[in-house]
Amino acid sequence: MTDPRLLDVEVAEDRDAEHMLINMGPQHPSTHGVLRLILELDGEEIRRCEPVIGYLHRGKEKIGETLSYHQFLPYTDRLDYLAPLANNVAYTVACEKLVGVEATPRAQAIRVICCELARISAHLLGLGAYAMDLGAMTIFLWTFREREQIYSLIERICGARFTTSYTRVGGVERDLPADFLPKLEAFVREFPGRVDEYESLLTRNKIWVRRTQGIGVISREVALAYGLTGPNLRGSGVDYDVRKDHPYCGYEQYEFEVPVGSTGDCYDRYLVRIEEMRQSAHILRQVLDTLPAGPFINRDDRVLKSVLPEKTKTLTNMEALIHQFMVATESICAPAGEAWFSAENPKGELGFFLRSNGGPSSTRCRIRAPSFAALQCLVEIVPGHMIADIMAILGSIDFVMGECDR
Amino acid sequence: MSVLTDHGDPAAGAALHAALPHFTWDAVVDRGDVTVPVDPRHEVEVATYARDRLGYTLFIDRFGADRGEDAEPRFDVYTILYNLQTKKRLHLCASLPGLDPVLPTLIPVFRGANWFEREILDMYGVRFEGHPDLRRILMPDAFPDFPLRREYPMEGLGGWAAPSRAIGGGIDGHDGQIAVNYVPSQPKPAPGHGGAP
Repeated sequence: MTDPRLLDVEVAEDRDAEHMLINMGPQHPSTHGVLRLILELDGEEIRRCEPVIGYLHRGKEKIGETLSYHQFLPYTDRLDYLAPLANNVAYTVACEKLVGVEATPRAQAIRVICCELARISAHLLGLGAYAMDLGAMTIFLWTFREREQIYSLIERICGARFTTSYTRVGGVERDLPADFLPKLEAFVREFPGRVDEYESLLTRNKIWVRRTQGIGVISREVALAYGLTGPNLRGSGVDYDVRKDHPYCGYEQYEFEVPVGSTGDCYDRYLVRIEEMRQSAHILRQVLDTLPAGPFINRDDRVLKSVLPEKTKTLTNMEALIHQFMVATESICAPAGEAWFSAENPKGELGFFLRSNGGPSSTRCRIRAPSFAALQCLVEIVPGHMIADIMAILGSIDFVMGECDR
Repeated sequence: MSVLTDHGDPAAGAALHAALPHFTWDAVVDRGDVTVPVDPRHEVEVATYARDRLGYTLFIDRFGADRGEDAEPRFDVYTILYNLQTKKRLHLCASLPGLDPVLPTLIPVFRGANWFEREILDMYGVRFEGHPDLRRILMPDAFPDFPLRREYPMEGLGGWAAPSRAIGGGIDGHDGQIAVNYVPSQPKPAPGHGGAP
């Protein structure tokens, strides 16, 4: 398919040089999905980079306006599909803010477990793919060893490995199984050593350092103007982490550090993610020590109309059955108004803006995707690099197209 | 709910309104979020003031919303900014008419507004004056409509309609498409402006 945009590209100012236009993607192994880059090359050097997105657009915001709050939850699994649990939590907390329900302490602690497992899993995949694109195959295999453990843990939590849909307004769908905590404990005990192993392969590896240091530098000013968030923003030296600055799900109870880079190059972003995995394991350790007992979903009288009743009760109690029927068919009705909530997801700040007119579904469901903002930044940082550096830059930005295109 | 509702800073909203009384209205506080309604013609000045004088340097988001065909003003364009010093968020909201919604671009203030504004054009048909590259971003270039407008049906229109089996119906027509006479959404963009690039 000839894209008309390819034909009317302005010829670069340097008329003597022969510039070549090259299409990278949408099917290219290092674009991690369906990202397309139009590159204008002067020899091996990139003069212009234009990302083209939208190949994975599924109209999620439109779908969010037609479904009830709970029905939309499975769609959030497929935003950042490397961290579905974290998406579930972000969306559900946004709904809770709109509805005015608060999750129980145990549910909040379970959500923290979910978010941090998702963060580790997403960072592991990001790191593995990043290193593999730069030629370090071993890391990819090693990180998938740990990701397999995490997927098994997630399967114990909610029965699904990938599309979790685990949270509910007011809490979570079910309690943790009895054998989950010992398994998580074993993972948390083992994981920091695994991170040391990854670092032993990369952090002082001459090839790795030369391919990432000084490459893809994002200055603090550019990062702020482009709305970068998460590890990409922190790699540029900005200390902003939603978990610290606006704690949700009880993050204020846990002690953890926010790693911040200094130069904003690919190497800094790598170091930030490595340290974040350690901090996530540290948070998981604290949750294990302090996991509160109690109900896993809020069934206070005040919010009872907004949450599903206990399943066992619906089998024996007529009121509970009616209640379940009403919640499931008519959905919960949020009071009219607007709510914005954003959470610190592995890729950055995932924001939801929900507007309600009092009906059973939102009339606007905005999804603020961190990858969308991060990919726009390529226009600014890629020109001037060699074509091989694109792999390093894309890997270090750690985007996911499901979230970018929505 | 305290931790979820301390994100906005009513004082900053009041300060913004006090400094630019002709360009803004009183801030609205809803569930802890502070939204300052802004005169669309002067959004750039307000955003510049918020960035340079109030310290809202981190550009978080810019998105549209539609109140429905009958509402006037019909479209809202929200801009979400963040202050890294005070750890507070500020929402700016410019409301636009349903007929020929136009807004000056925010790219001079926040370069990152570029793609976000393209998405608002793509989804709502709001034009941004001064935008250097205003074309669709998520939908196909030839897509004729603005899908996030409230009246646009979930299953699509005309040749872009989803196969009926995808939305739970039987297959009708020749090719599994729903037979819908395609009519572009009203109101049409004014001639010469070309809502769809």
